[in-house]
Amino acid sequence: MVERTRLFDILTQIVLIIGLVILFTPIYIVFVAASHDFKTVNMIPMPMLPSGHLWENLTKSWQQAGFSHVMITSLIVASGVAIGKVVLSAMSAFSIVYFRYRLRLIFFWLIFITLMLPLEVRIVPTYAVAANALSPVQGVIDFIASYIPQVSIQLPEWNLLNSYEGLILPLIATATGTFLYRQFFLTIPEELAEAAKMDGAGALRFFFDILMPLSKTNMAALATIMFVWAWNQYLWPILIVTDQAHYATAAMQLGKVVPGPSFGEPPVWNTAMAATLITMMPPLVVVILMQRWFVRGLVATEK
Amino acid sequence: MKKQLSMALVAATLASAPLSASAAERVKFDFWYGLTGALGEVIANQCKLFNESQDRYEAVCTGQGGYDKAEQNTIAAYRAKQQPALVQLYDAGTVNFMLSGAVYPANKFAKDFNISIDWSDYIPAISNFFGTSKGELWSLPYNNSTALMYYNKDALAKIGKSEPPATLEELTDDLKAMKAAGYDCGFGINFDPWVSLEQFSYIHGVPLATKNNGYDGLDAELVYNKTKLVDFIKLERSWVDNGYAKIMTQQTGKSIVESFADGTCQFIYTSVGDHSTITQTHKDSVHWGDAFLPVFAGTKRLNSAIGGASVWIMAGKSHETYEAVAAFVKYITDSETGVNYIAHNTGYIPVTKSAFKILSDQGFYKDPKYAGREVAFASLTASEVTPLSRGVRLGNYTAIRSAFQSEFQSILNGQKDVQAGLDDAVKAGNEILRRYEQTFKGKELP
Amino acid sequence: MEKRVTFSNYWLAGLFIAPQLFLVFTFFYWPTGQALYWSLTLEPPFGGGNQFVGLQNFMAVFGDAHYWDSVIRSLVFALGTTAISVGFATVLALFADRGLFGHSIFKFAYFLPYAVPAAAVGLAFRFTFTPDAGIFGAVNHIIPGLWDPSRNGGQALFMIMLGQAWKMAGYNFVFLLAGLQSVPRSMIEAAAMDGAGVFRRMRDMQMPMITPTFFFLFVINITDSFVDSFGMIDVMTRGGPSRATELMVYKIYLDGFEAKDYSLAAAQSMLLMLLIMVMTIFQFRYVERRVHYN
Repeated sequence: MVERTRLFDILTQIVLIIGLVILFTPIYIVFVAASHDFKTVNMIPMPMLPSGHLWENLTKSWQQAGFSHVMITSLIVASGVAIGKVVLSAMSAFSIVYFRYRLRLIFFWLIFITLMLPLEVRIVPTYAVAANALSPVQGVIDFIASYIPQVSIQLPEWNLLNSYEGLILPLIATATGTFLYRQFFLTIPEELAEAAKMDGAGALRFFFDILMPLSKTNMAALATIMFVWAWNQYLWPILIVTDQAHYATAAMQLGKVVPGPSFGEPPVWNTAMAATLITMMPPLVVVILMQRWFVRGLVATEK
Repeated sequence: MKKQLSMALVAATLASAPLSASAAERVKFDFWYGLTGALGEVIANQCKLFNESQDRYEAVCTGQGGYDKAEQNTIAAYRAKQQPALVQLYDAGTVNFMLSGAVYPANKFAKDFNISIDWSDYIPAISNFFGTSKGELWSLPYNNSTALMYYNKDALAKIGKSEPPATLEELTDDLKAMKAAGYDCGFGINFDPWVSLEQFSYIHGVPLATKNNGYDGLDAELVYNKTKLVDFIKLERSWVDNGYAKIMTQQTGKSIVESFADGTCQFIYTSVGDHSTITQTHKDSVHWGDAFLPVFAGTKRLNSAIGGASVWIMAGKSHETYEAVAAFVKYITDSETGVNYIAHNTGYIPVTKSAFKILSDQGFYKDPKYAGREVAFASLTASEVTPLSRGVRLGNYTAIRSAFQSEFQSILNGQKDVQAGLDDAVKAGNEILRRYEQTFKGKELP
Repeated sequence: MEKRVTFSNYWLAGLFIAPQLFLVFTFFYWPTGQALYWSLTLEPPFGGGNQFVGLQNFMAVFGDAHYWDSVIRSLVFALGTTAISVGFATVLALFADRGLFGHSIFKFAYFLPYAVPAAAVGLAFRFTFTPDAGIFGAVNHIIPGLWDPSRNGGQALFMIMLGQAWKMAGYNFVFLLAGLQSVPRSMIEAAAMDGAGVFRRMRDMQMPMITPTFFFLFVINITDSFVDSFGMIDVMTRGGPSRATELMVYKIYLDGFEAKDYSLAAAQSMLLMLLIMVMTIFQFRYVERRVHYN
């Protein structure tokens, strides 16, 4: 650290602890709820101290939701989305920032606009696409072919329902990553590209040898965020997965154990919150693992 | 009856016999359901029991995470030609499915696949609610309930009464007495239109909409701002204003059911489906019972109507699949494996008269765990089903409900005059109905 | 913003952007195009036989006073949550960047809220904000009726804003910290030696260095508060009391997918997109000018 004044250090700690309390209270409540039995968890107000039923609730919800299997599916999907996003966004941002062609700005905005309409409000037509992912391309071909006599091309069908591709690809098709990389690439000194060009390095070399190593922190942050985001996706998986024996994800199971509002069923919040704790664990592990890449923390890496 | 029971026996024997065919050779079909949590488990378990009961077919049952999601997902799937063979659909979705052209009407299906379903065995309040104008059932009643009044016996005793009030005037007096006796929340109220709007209108025989509540045509118009309902909403508002009633929702901290179960509120109106919740969660110190919804003095009480869901068969599947579906339909409409299975494992009522009789004969309603649920059956059969106590069949009914609900919130919170609020709700609702009518121009309700 | 030094291998440029464009076209533009078509027709839920009605759906939307309320509400919501969340996360990130004892724990813990699924957030907030228990129970004990989001629409909206800000705080913190960590330590040390105090350095050095991150977060937070507030509202208030928390996306969801009026929802989706687009273009055009790249 640069300098230490006692007063300021105390202030720092106080601010950080207040922040911790604010951010942590709801999570603490989840934890407390998961540690009570059915009757006490439904008492109003709920007790503010944990009780001894945590393990019991955890085992119960683990079996109830079949977590042994769905964890693996979720892991594959969330990793797929995180990796896919990190790779594809880096590529597209590179193309947008480091090349000067006319369509560049249009491409950027085409990608960027996807931030503006969430899946929730266009889910019906998106589902139709997932049933045959080549149908849009087919649509374009048909449109073009309608102007050319005697030409028709029939693409095969590509059904994404009940598949990993279906769980992963539509979630990759958003702009957050591209935008983040663009912001980052713009801060990279011009001299680097200049020097690389002077050394005779092509665009590919520059991308892999210079840009990518520099992007490590942002990449790690993006991958972490995307992993968690994909992990907690609920609406889309439940729609396209009907073969739950093979493709159910953890968040889907969570939807099953958390009671709905309208059925007059007993709110089994204790096991539901236990399931929440279980579901939260893998993202937390990922955060811990990834953190060393984007936080100087313990190992001080000077730049 | 006998035949059904012996069939269940056969099924039971089959279940214990070693399964000869492997799962791969079974004909599979999809069943999507909307129930979640413990109730969803009950459905999943029913599928499991079905799959274990025979070795030719396999029901692949998928919880969709809510009634509305089950409907929405089925529609999305149908548009992509990936629809399930069967879907559990809530009451409010009935019109959409009837007009969709996407379903295989249950009565036709039963005929085509030689399933003997005694349609007249369904409780009239149920078959009328789901039935077409010709009285045909296009879907299979599955899990149904009706609304009851739950009351706290000790609170009643404290104001010197032993019987629950039968009229709204009496209830108001009781609430007044309870307030005087120091109860903070005499009546726990929420904004649920199913109870305050619909059930009130049914049992009082006043219309919600013209054209017999919409059953006779898509050009129906809402009229509930001009009926006795206005007096009832005014009464509920006065309960809140006088401190007799307290608003209890998830947002205020606890629902009416929770606040009744822990003894905070002494009366609530809610579904018989909550009977099992209250049985399981009530404080030991709370002694309670249930009764009919009270009516205004001098009213001839009609039957209450149902809420809940029925099972629809979707069109566009292969003959082979439908044969598998037929086996499942037999299974879930059977008194033992179907109707009573649901009644036993949930708070829902048995949907057929014969199943109700079997349960009664078995002493089900004498069991302290279930005692009181027979009141629901009595409420549904309190009178012959009339055109106004049959139910409601209006397009985009969920939107009409929410229009009522948000105005009802303003009314009970004292932000809006009762009549003005109801007028606005009806105006918004009628706009929804006109859009619906225009969307389905040229189509008629079956 | 333009780079002076660029490459000229356009095949490579095309190859690099093609996969992303393919995905975006397939899973965004095609479905959205369909929605645009629906906004000009009356689409029955199960499809088949829709009628072209021109701008009737848009007229219905514009004629609805509730719609305009939801637009204003959404704007207040977007600006409010973004200010709260980014502000809060900035304070935490600046302090956490000092790297005092125990800070690795803070850094890890601050991210946690983002990992909590919406249903659990709903429950947790339900307990936290309930008027007759917890902190607010105590407040209401002193001044009865002061806090009651179930009746007071303004308070309900505020509660959702806090929920959204809470959820995004972890997200913002991660990117702000990552940004601060890439500010060269040597620069800060040099400034310290020149006698710049801690707050001065934060204000005059660290914050300007990460303006691209700020810009990124402003844009993301504002759009996210428009489009992703859905889950939070659904769990906490369902749009109530009396529509006080009915934001644009939630109204689209209610009209379209609960009531199955796809056309009305599609028209609102188009308007929502247009609004966010205008706001974003504004941000790129006027706010990005102040951003300090490189």
